[in-house]
Amino acid sequence: VACSIAAVALGPSEAAADAGDPSSPSAIQIHGFASQGAFVTTRNDYLVSGSTKGSFQLSEVGINFTDNITEKLRAGIQLFAQDFGINGNYGIEADWFYLDYRFADWLGFRAGRLKLPFGLYNEVNDVDAARVPILLPQSVYPLQNRQFLFAQTGFEIYGFARSSWAGALDYRLFAGTISLDPLALRQPGANYQAFIDVPYMTGGRVMWETPLDGLRLGGSLEALELDSTITNLMMKNLPSMGQVNDVAQLYVGSVEYAHDDLLLAAEYSRWHTRQTGDLVPPNESESERMYGMITYRVAHWLQPGAYYSLYFPYTKNRWGNDPTVRCESNVIISPKSACWQQDVALTLRFDVTPNWLIKVEGHFMDGTAAVSSPLKPGSPPTDPPKDWEALFAKTTVYF
Amino acid sequence: MRSAAALVLLIAATLAVVFGGRGAKASESSAYKIIVNPANPAGSLDRKFVEDAFLKKVTTWPDGSVIHPVDLPASSSVRRRFSEDVLERSVDGVRVYWQQRIFAGRDLPPPELENDAEVVKYVLKYDGAIGYVSEGSGSSPSKVVAVTR
Repeated sequence: VACSIAAVALGPSEAAADAGDPSSPSAIQIHGFASQGAFVTTRNDYLVSGSTKGSFQLSEVGINFTDNITEKLRAGIQLFAQDFGINGNYGIEADWFYLDYRFADWLGFRAGRLKLPFGLYNEVNDVDAARVPILLPQSVYPLQNRQFLFAQTGFEIYGFARSSWAGALDYRLFAGTISLDPLALRQPGANYQAFIDVPYMTGGRVMWETPLDGLRLGGSLEALELDSTITNLMMKNLPSMGQVNDVAQLYVGSVEYAHDDLLLAAEYSRWHTRQTGDLVPPNESESERMYGMITYRVAHWLQPGAYYSLYFPYTKNRWGNDPTVRCESNVIISPKSACWQQDVALTLRFDVTPNWLIKVEGHFMDGTAAVSSPLKPGSPPTDPPKDWEALFAKTTVYF
Repeated sequence: MRSAAALVLLIAATLAVVFGGRGAKASESSAYKIIVNPANPAGSLDRKFVEDAFLKKVTTWPDGSVIHPVDLPASSSVRRRFSEDVLERSVDGVRVYWQQRIFAGRDLPPPELENDAEVVKYVLKYDGAIGYVSEGSGSSPSKVVAVTR
């Protein structure tokens, strides 16, 4: 962080003559955004406690500074604060920071805290202005797993190359680690304390811009390991302290087609986890996630969108018909509906001015997977209704 | 709540029909020409190369020097025409592209200058600059390049 702040603050050395000219390629640029939202759900609390009564815990504010130190070396930092469930409470954090050196268009190098290139839209999960939906499809971009998906601290190499006949390739490969807040990972009803170390997080994304204008295909991979030291506060028949090791691989395949004001996107993802340790029997699980989305700019100021999202926490029990596979951990009786979540979302984005937007969004939900989540502490509901709805509204200013 | 959501959609659809239209397509009078610094040896440029340069997917000319693209304001009809022809996306689409890049910490958009004269001045100042101005404007002594497809 210190290196990035210093680099931004010291400014360009070779373009001092341009100081004060905002159009200069070496001028420091400042951008920011502030969002405030509200939402209400029917029958089930979702994302934050008490959402059936309505919640205003949907705020984000960020400001970033970027400096082209030389023509090939750039530094940047974004400060971010949010209020969302148990996350944030307006604590300011360095959202991302980096030093970036571009050797050539096909090879660049970055170091710092870097947003993860996972799927099409993971990097804009916190940036309301950069997309149509208020909530990205929660099957592939779950806010409850934000800590695993948001950013890593380490290195990245990236590049772009175009062929005259085969389109273009855009690649990014990264390796590093993440800092996890154990409280933000603990499932409701669980009773333990944990210290979590992440020895590695690595992965990458390759996007192919096909020769058909506007069509992009891509694949992303993320692999990480968690070493947890856990103090057991609940289970009398287990040791009071032990080690748990989790290894996870996350995959997503992406396709996007943009033509004029139409955007079509679809993604399919699987997350595989393997857990071993003193306090748990060895186990493996795999979840399945997918969505299809359409947005269309009807007018300069209006962009409707819709998506269908589908999430299965356990591929071994997609629709809850196998009573031997619980779809929700940390509960005695897991309801059948916890084995899936279907979400049909409709959004309207109104661009009131070039720097101010308003959105409204309705969700029609079937299934209760992810109704119980670490974002919402407290005892999980024992028999949550299968069908429910959510209505969101949000406004954002940005520059 | 279902009826409330349906009502919102209905209102929006009505507004879109009544006040809709994405704005007139850029007319012939907003024709443009692409200009580079006189020191630039290029006589013509592939459309994809110009698109990649303005979206900063490529950052260097074939000789290795850095490309400095420059835009007109988002409200400019010349920019709208250039955006539709060369970038093959609307100015609004380009704005969303840059919002994604800016706030993910990937890159920054080209500077937006007020008018043709400012763009010409910029192009003359930086060897690697590339810009566009209205067809009828005086762009001398910058160099006009053709776009091939």
